[in-house]
Amino acid sequence: MSVRRHGWGRATMAALCAAALACSGGEKAPAADSGAKSAAGGKADSSIVIAMIAKESANPVFLAARTGAEAAAKELSQKYGIDVKVEWLTPPQQDGEVQAQRIRQAVNDGVDAILISCSDAGKVTGAINDAVDRGVTVMTFDSDAPQSKRFAFYGVDDEKTGQEAMADLAKVLGGKGNVAVLAGNQNAPNLQRRVQGVKNEAAKSPGIKIVGVFNHIETPQDASAEVVRVDNAYPSITGWVFIGGWPLWTQSLLTDPNFGRLKVVSVDALPPQLAYVEKGVVPVLLAQSVYDWGHVGVQTIVEKLHDNKTPANPIIPMELVRVTKDNLGDWARQLKAWGFTDVDPKYLALPAAKK
Amino acid sequence: MSDVATVSNAPRVSRVGSAARRLLASQETGLVVVVALLTVALVALAGSHLDRRTGLEINNFWNANTIVQTLTDASFFAIMAIGATMVIISGGIDLSVGSIYALSGVTMALVLRDAGTMGDAATALTGIVVCVGVGLLCGVLNGVLVVGLRVHPFIVTLGTMWVLRGIAFVVSRAESILVPGALTEVTKASLGFRGGLYPVPMLTMIALTILGAIYLTRTVMGRHIFAFGGNLEASRFAGLALGRIQIGVYALSGLTAGIAAFLGASFYGSASSGDAQGYELYVIASAVVGGASLIGGKGSAVGAMLGALLIVLIRQSIRTLHFDQNYEWIVIGCAIIIAVVIDQWSSRVTAQRLTRAAEATRAAA
Repeated sequence: MSVRRHGWGRATMAALCAAALACSGGEKAPAADSGAKSAAGGKADSSIVIAMIAKESANPVFLAARTGAEAAAKELSQKYGIDVKVEWLTPPQQDGEVQAQRIRQAVNDGVDAILISCSDAGKVTGAINDAVDRGVTVMTFDSDAPQSKRFAFYGVDDEKTGQEAMADLAKVLGGKGNVAVLAGNQNAPNLQRRVQGVKNEAAKSPGIKIVGVFNHIETPQDASAEVVRVDNAYPSITGWVFIGGWPLWTQSLLTDPNFGRLKVVSVDALPPQLAYVEKGVVPVLLAQSVYDWGHVGVQTIVEKLHDNKTPANPIIPMELVRVTKDNLGDWARQLKAWGFTDVDPKYLALPAAKK
Repeated sequence: MSDVATVSNAPRVSRVGSAARRLLASQETGLVVVVALLTVALVALAGSHLDRRTGLEINNFWNANTIVQTLTDASFFAIMAIGATMVIISGGIDLSVGSIYALSGVTMALVLRDAGTMGDAATALTGIVVCVGVGLLCGVLNGVLVVGLRVHPFIVTLGTMWVLRGIAFVVSRAESILVPGALTEVTKASLGFRGGLYPVPMLTMIALTILGAIYLTRTVMGRHIFAFGGNLEASRFAGLALGRIQIGVYALSGLTAGIAAFLGASFYGSASSGDAQGYELYVIASAVVGGASLIGGKGSAVGAMLGALLIVLIRQSIRTLHFDQNYEWIVIGCAIIIAVVIDQWSSRVTAQRLTRAAEATRAAA
């Protein structure tokens, strides 16, 4: 009798409690995100469901992409008179296997398209190809899976991004110095290409020495901690290239005296990073239009599905925007227009850049 | 399923009835019923969509692709949980299974890359041997350290968790290494199923569950594991080879991690040092939900598989029912804690009842 109670009790309570918690604590996702089409709701071609799978759900660049995607969905729904929905399926932390699982789940749920930034191209290529073989349109953004059957990729040229960042830093350093590279997730193919770009550009300046490439978990806390650790371990460092803006998404380095003596160039220009430009701690930010990852992504997918329009070149390039003190106000206003709510009002009041 | 059937001279009908009663009373039957109930609830609530392939309306959960996908997702945890359950039955714990998975996969990918072009059969065989061999070696290492150093397994496997993943990181130079297509063809073989269904991982899970169940309940070594975990002193006085038993369970844990790594790396197409981060928690949770007791002496391979399936089903239900996926960890964590607390409370109540019954019997006598 005790065995029966154990067997039924433990497993029953596990499942019932899970169901109860999911019902009470986990609200249904809001309407803009709700997923699979209901066949009872109307004809299949009256709606388009796009599963969006970024690298990690708490990363602000991907949240910005989500905002762009949902805005595009709304605009295109009105334009075409159909129901365009974006379903956010991004895992909580970077994991290529989980992304591959999410792709398969999305296909099984009957989505029309998938928009994905790949944490590990090797892991998701198979899942992308299976999805395409089952009639699902797949587009990548930010981090590509070039060997897959995706029909388009939208993002920066990562190697060129790394080169530009290093070129800007070399200029700021006067052509000589010891440089550290902050490189995020070591498995991400786009970041690997950026690092290669940094190294290739550094090789052109004999006075520049790359001290090391430092990987870390892509949270602001871990990234900031890594910068401080490396600075303490390598006192000879005179400059940093951040190939992603992670440590600048907090203010912790703004008042760090060690950090203040260094020259830094960073990719990304989200609202928290603007203070670093204002104070001159980071003279140049190379901004990706992260909002457009989602906006252009959804637009391209809908044009393909609705109008059968495919881009002439599967690689849709995104140009970087150089953000400095001169155009800080313009960029702040652009962020605000994209829906960022945490832009400091003092930057919005800055004058426009001189043409 | 957890108990060895005893042979008796009772009539055949009584033996069948007795076996049926034992089956119904077993832990695993309860798990099967809960999994079935959760499945029914999912089918009822999941909604439907038009299948692109057939044009027919199909249930969002109850369709071949989703069922096979759910079982596939569970298979990697379940296979590792079978080995982990044996460790837990022995009274130990293995926190390094995720790291063993990563190191096994990465080593296999590197060896195959350096070996160059081989025939498909040779590639697959080499892959299996290397991956499973590395897993086994890591498991033996854990066992030898636990026995030799006489340090608690929690500490030893906490250390090897770091060391093994660190080795994977260094040897792979943090790259994600592609595995040859021949391996993917093995794990993604359709075996006669229609395209898009990949039954190999789930069939491997079922096969290993059966093997694990037979090992634990029908072999001498299996019974020794229960004895070791149930009563160490009695096992010592009974003359059991305690060191060999301990090394054996960790070796089996490493072996199953190596098998899961082969399937995972082949299925997903690459291996990296970052693979299976946090898997040890899912694996231990699967074993515990499946009935293994962290104080030792209790557990089963079938329970481990069902525990993994239940956890993955809970995860799938959040997805299928379109609940906010950010609550996934909270839901699973709470479900595990509550399930174990209920079970412990149930054990205490049962023990109290037995004590009262014994006292009443003595008083009557």
